[in-house]
Amino acid sequence: MNAITVDELSVDLDRVEILHGVSCAVPAGGWLALIGPNGAGKTTLLRAVAGLLPHRGTIQVNDQDLGALRGRGRARLIAYLPQIPVLPPDMTVRDYVLLGRTPYLGYLSAPGRSDRAKAAEASERLDVTRFAGRRLGSLSGGERQRVRLARALAQEPRVLLLDEPANDLDIGHQQQVLELVDDLRRTRGVTVVSTLHDLTQAGQYAGHLVLLAGGQVEASGAPAEVLTQELIARVYAARVTVTPGPVVTPVRESPKKL
Amino acid sequence: MTRARGRRLPAARAYGVAAAFLVAATLVSALVGAADLNPLDTVTALLHLPSGLSPLDRSVLFQIRLPRIVLGALVGALLSVAGAGYQGVFRNPLVDSGLLGASAGAGLGATLAIVYLGGIGPAAVPAAAFIGSLAGVAIAYLAGAAGGGGPSSGTTTLLLAGVAVGLFLTAVQTYVLQRSAQDLQQVYSWLLGSLSGATWQQAGEIVPYAAVSVTVIVLHGRHLDVLSVGDEEARALGLHPGRTRLIVVAACALAAASAVAVSGLIGFVGIVVPHVVRRLAGTSYRLVLPLSLLSGGGFLVLADTLARTVVSPAELPIGVVTALAGSPVFVWILRTTQAVRT
Amino acid sequence: MLVTSSLSRTILAAATAAALAGCASSASSASSAPPASPASSAASSASTGAAGSQFPVTVTASNGTVTIKARPARIVSLAPTATEDLYAVGAGSQVVAVDQDSDYPATAPVTKLSGLTPNLEAIAKYRPDLVVASQNSGGLVSGLTRLGIPVLIEPAVTSLDGAYQQIDQIGQATGHLTAAQKVTAAMKTQIAATVRHAGSSHPSVTYYWELTANPYYSVTSATFIGQIVALFGLKNIADAADKASDGGYPQLSEEYIVKAQPQIIFLADNQAADGGQTPAVVAKRPGWSAIPAVKDHEVIGLNDDIASRWGPRLPQLVAEIAQAVEQASR
Repeated sequence: MNAITVDELSVDLDRVEILHGVSCAVPAGGWLALIGPNGAGKTTLLRAVAGLLPHRGTIQVNDQDLGALRGRGRARLIAYLPQIPVLPPDMTVRDYVLLGRTPYLGYLSAPGRSDRAKAAEASERLDVTRFAGRRLGSLSGGERQRVRLARALAQEPRVLLLDEPANDLDIGHQQQVLELVDDLRRTRGVTVVSTLHDLTQAGQYAGHLVLLAGGQVEASGAPAEVLTQELIARVYAARVTVTPGPVVTPVRESPKKL
Repeated sequence: MTRARGRRLPAARAYGVAAAFLVAATLVSALVGAADLNPLDTVTALLHLPSGLSPLDRSVLFQIRLPRIVLGALVGALLSVAGAGYQGVFRNPLVDSGLLGASAGAGLGATLAIVYLGGIGPAAVPAAAFIGSLAGVAIAYLAGAAGGGGPSSGTTTLLLAGVAVGLFLTAVQTYVLQRSAQDLQQVYSWLLGSLSGATWQQAGEIVPYAAVSVTVIVLHGRHLDVLSVGDEEARALGLHPGRTRLIVVAACALAAASAVAVSGLIGFVGIVVPHVVRRLAGTSYRLVLPLSLLSGGGFLVLADTLARTVVSPAELPIGVVTALAGSPVFVWILRTTQAVRT
Repeated sequence: MLVTSSLSRTILAAATAAALAGCASSASSASSAPPASPASSAASSASTGAAGSQFPVTVTASNGTVTIKARPARIVSLAPTATEDLYAVGAGSQVVAVDQDSDYPATAPVTKLSGLTPNLEAIAKYRPDLVVASQNSGGLVSGLTRLGIPVLIEPAVTSLDGAYQQIDQIGQATGHLTAAQKVTAAMKTQIAATVRHAGSSHPSVTYYWELTANPYYSVTSATFIGQIVALFGLKNIADAADKASDGGYPQLSEEYIVKAQPQIIFLADNQAADGGQTPAVVAKRPGWSAIPAVKDHEVIGLNDDIASRWGPRLPQLVAEIAQAVEQASR
């Protein structure tokens, strides 16, 4: 059963067609990684699935048409973390994570005891409870990513959309964050769609890859099928070798010695 | 409204401090004035106990001084909560209650009333200022929301539209003033803002608008908190940023217009009070909005007390007092805001 | 809000033009005619006070009908003209406080009260039973009404008759009607005599009355000042420049003034506190030396206070003007 089905999706931004006839699907509890060169439309695809962009074609989430979902209903289902977040520097971690409960609050309601409990639980899961009283501006990059994930988790979503979740993190924190996401996926059955720069990482964590280029799907399938030397060379214009894993290694010709 | 166990004390204490500030300011203000009323007699008179105040002194207390204090608290509260609301909507701490053409529209309305409708009577000016203020915001909102990609096109366009509309309205006002020199003094003193001549009737007239606008603004505190993470993330969390902005801006405009109609243009209150509140009680608008109400009322009552006693029997225009007190605080805000961004 | 220095000078023009309080200055009169004699009025007030008017009395001032129940014993004046009127009709002993700009007579009890921005509490402190002011600013009338204190608003007048009526009304309100009527009668006689002496027809003599310089604001014949000068039949150069929106106080350009070639220039801004535009300063203005008034030394610095008030010293103003007219027609 597919948690997300995208069929013939086209999206225009500023009257320029960014995505053209994109189709893909993600099984429930699976992880789909969107890869492709800069400007291929990965972020646009993610935002469209998040319900933030008008589109042509169909997007279905949990067998419901995305267009039929509105506001809070959609936010209860889908949590979206953009690549560059707005983190009010003076907001406390506790308040920030609590924002994740917004989809469950009535128009005039304030967060109740159960909302605070769920937010606390999410913070605990992401190991940010000890930061609860600290300001967002005082956190390091890795801490911030965990706090953002805690907020997303507080939304109790079925689908998690992450734009470059490993961005600006050192290798240790990258692994930490991605492991956390994978853990969420496995223990709670959350479906994950993420864009990832690092092709090897994409192959390690995602069960399914979609290679986008120029707004269209160039390849789609298991990591071993998509991460081939020939495809990467064609789409990225990059020289790599692919070893079993798959592990993508960039290749450099020996520089001419003087 | 329940609060998390760990935060129960600080929030309640913040309310307590703000309320105490307002009450203290009101009491101090009631005890001082050019009429030199006996403080003890004043207190007993206020408590409806037998008092040594002469009938004239009683009239001074209840007909001149008290309405002025109450109006000052109302105006201060309205300007502060409107400023805080605008700051939340525009995610910018440097925004004042006179934004989006509210002050400029009020100034133009009052000028037109004084210059062309002088014969109708003194009631024309507050009404014209009120209408002018709302019209200014409406024009700025229409101009700003029309440009760009629709309701979620963001706040920058709106802010710029507000600046443009404000400049335009001020220019028209200056033109009208230049053509009618004999009204200059009256307009000028209105523009500087004043609470002298406050009556219970004035206070009563703005209470309905104040109640409606303040209720709407305060009820949207949580929404402003969500808005603070940006339009896109707010939408992803299930909010409608454009709609929220419209509602809050309309309510803030109503609050500011009501205040300006009775008091003229008083600056700095809308910027300074919310920011001081934020420093002391955190950035959550669920707290900042009601605390700004209370503190703003106290602040303006204090400022007016200074205005009417420091050079007694002359009075400083209250806009001067708030500016003198507000500018150093304003500079401090700028410096500390920059420090956080690094 | 854009406020430039020229605007603030225009405020001064408006204030002077609306005949609000002038500035404190020593009043040195160059006139040879004796002033309307306040001293004699005061001496006779004791005998005319009781017979002057009966209380309660109802008068109709600019703020509507006002009833004064008993002879006021604690009067507060918030306007220089009102102060002069009060003392002229013999009510000086009933005055307990006058505003900071009331500098005549010198014996008046000057305080820091302001007529432009009145402070209700400060006024109440004097426990007045009558307040006289020239404008209703800052909710003065409404505030005093709430305190139960009668108030008369006696604004700047638009004619000589208006000035006489105000003096009579103040006399009536304070229990000195007969004395007031004597004062106004003497004023009328004096002014008539001055006009007779100088002549009431000088159609070929043009004049320019300066309220402020840079920008140059003047008065037309329709204004109170203009009507006084019109007693002598002079021609006002500002009349042609007046537009309906100016309300009788048009702004004139320097070119206009020079081209109009006035034979007399009256300066209502020659005292230092009003702008210091003395005849010597005017003579030095570039291009102004071509004006007949400058060439023939017919630039007259008036007593700015008297020129901005409409009280019992009006005959002095008329005399100053008459002197200039006589000199110019020689």
